[in-house]
Amino acid sequence: MADAELLLEEAGYEVGFPPEQVCCGQPAFNAGHRRAARRVARTFTRAFSRDWPIVCPSGSCSTMAAHYLPELLGVEPFEVWELSAFLAQAGATPSVRNDGCTLAYHDSCHMLRELGIADEPRGLLERSGAQLAPLPRPDLCCGFGGTFSIRQPEISVAMADDKLNGVSNADALVTADPGCLMHLRGRAARHGGPRVLHVATALARGVRP
Amino acid sequence: MRMLEGRTNAWAGLEDVEALRERARKIRQRTISDLDRYLAEFTAAVEARGAKVRFARTAEEANAYIVDTCRRAGAELVAKSKSMASEEIRVNEALQAAGIRAVECDLGEYILQLANEHPIHIILPAIEKTAADVAELFSVVEGEPVSPQLEELAAAARRQLRKVFFSADVGLTGANFGVAQTGSICLVTNEGNGGLVTSLPKVHIALLGMERLVPTLDDLAVLLQLLPRSATGQKLTSYTRIISGPRREGESDGPEELHIVILDNGRSNLRGGRYEEMLSCIRCGACLNVCPVYRKAGGGAYGPVYSGPMAAVLVPLLVGLERAPALPHASSLCGACTAACPVKIPLHELLLELRKDLVEERVASARERLGFTLWSLAWSRPFLYRLSTSLARLAAPLAGRLGPGLVWTRGRDLPAFARRRFRDLP
Repeated sequence: MADAELLLEEAGYEVGFPPEQVCCGQPAFNAGHRRAARRVARTFTRAFSRDWPIVCPSGSCSTMAAHYLPELLGVEPFEVWELSAFLAQAGATPSVRNDGCTLAYHDSCHMLRELGIADEPRGLLERSGAQLAPLPRPDLCCGFGGTFSIRQPEISVAMADDKLNGVSNADALVTADPGCLMHLRGRAARHGGPRVLHVATALARGVRP
Repeated sequence: MRMLEGRTNAWAGLEDVEALRERARKIRQRTISDLDRYLAEFTAAVEARGAKVRFARTAEEANAYIVDTCRRAGAELVAKSKSMASEEIRVNEALQAAGIRAVECDLGEYILQLANEHPIHIILPAIEKTAADVAELFSVVEGEPVSPQLEELAAAARRQLRKVFFSADVGLTGANFGVAQTGSICLVTNEGNGGLVTSLPKVHIALLGMERLVPTLDDLAVLLQLLPRSATGQKLTSYTRIISGPRREGESDGPEELHIVILDNGRSNLRGGRYEEMLSCIRCGACLNVCPVYRKAGGGAYGPVYSGPMAAVLVPLLVGLERAPALPHASSLCGACTAACPVKIPLHELLLELRKDLVEERVASARERLGFTLWSLAWSRPFLYRLSTSLARLAAPLAGRLGPGLVWTRGRDLPAFARRRFRDLP
């Protein structure tokens, strides 16, 4: 979060953090619990003013807030941006902190298929000096899937292994979704694997090779 | 992976895939929304060509008609071509109970029948069997060892199946499509068995899912551009057979009788509601081939007949959610299935809808429902939300020992918390 704030400020934006904000309701929504999702989502919407765009460092939360939440609550859509897409459209030039680094980028599913964001995070990483390492099937799901990771833990973990094993000759695997990040990092910590970083962290702090 | 690469290459030959998918979607949607009319048109056209039509509301009705037709033909042996609908109604068991032997003549299905197993992929039923597995099964039939070389295996299969083709009294097939305008059925296959099964025995019975109609031959042509590409990555399968009625006067081959059994078996449940789009499915298997969960779980995990994302949506709708409560959750909702579907069924969104139904129809456990209710009561209040994230930090050492945390930590570490929450930073 602090990394995202730094990037936005470097790009010349003032960042506000509405303290009353809560979860967008996605965990319940994806599990089928619409009433529970609605309850949480309603509080979420009350926290944000419509005068400012909402920028979110998560592909799946952005998808929920932009696509599903308006329909769930019957409200007008908010202006929601995924962080890397926002920075890219703003023409932000990230500081060169990744010179000499090789990074692999994993597409998170909702960000790629629902929001159609694939080039923006890659472009930002390249402009930060990093070289992008090829990753086999970067579009293939890492196996997190919210409650799926608990309902089908063996399959979920096997999918993470496929993703982690695909990383070769890279200093880190980068993703723009905290769900993928928690899952892949947790698996790598347990079983061995590459460093896994959020795109905001990679851009704001740089990845030391 | 091989399936995926083949698929990519086959699409490369098409000019505008998106426009074609959209055309196909519209054809299927138009058919499904006016299905009664097309069923009536199809039935009239089939009958005008001298074939018989039987609408079966249930698997039992379909099986009873098939058994009865076989009996009237005096059949002892039925040669079958690959049909998922026939797997769905378990017609082999019904025939066996009536003392009639049914032999699968599609190579994959034949192998599974010898092994006494069910298909794990709707297009490639025996995809997991190795040449050595097959050699072992064929050796039992031949009564002597069969070498696991592919040529030897093909020769053995041909030897064994030829006997069936020539002595079968009835040929039983599925149908990929029925054409309402002409009363034709279309069979898309890669092995020669489809042709032999539909032409050599004196009676041909075709089992057609009630939703598998297209209005015209032109519409069929659109779908035939998509089906093989989506299924096996081929531009066209080896054989595409369009059958219009039984043998006519003066024709030298073809069956004397053609019976088309139109199968409902739960499909009507989907009509008119928000799941109607699922009736557009053409059973191509594209969603299986791209699904990362299917690749890890395998086809058997979805039940005995259908598999992959299409099964996760379709099976609960056919048999009832309470009989298949795990299937809507057999997905990470990654959406690869939706992106691959040639008729643009929003599979992962239908899974979300089914999950909602699981909760609202109280099929989901009371514990799960209570859990989410309590969660939502806390997280819809900013103060409690903040408190819970503070408590989570304190409780972190315990989290891996309770409930979901326990499951999570079997294969993964829990996330470490930042030293201070973002909201508490100065």
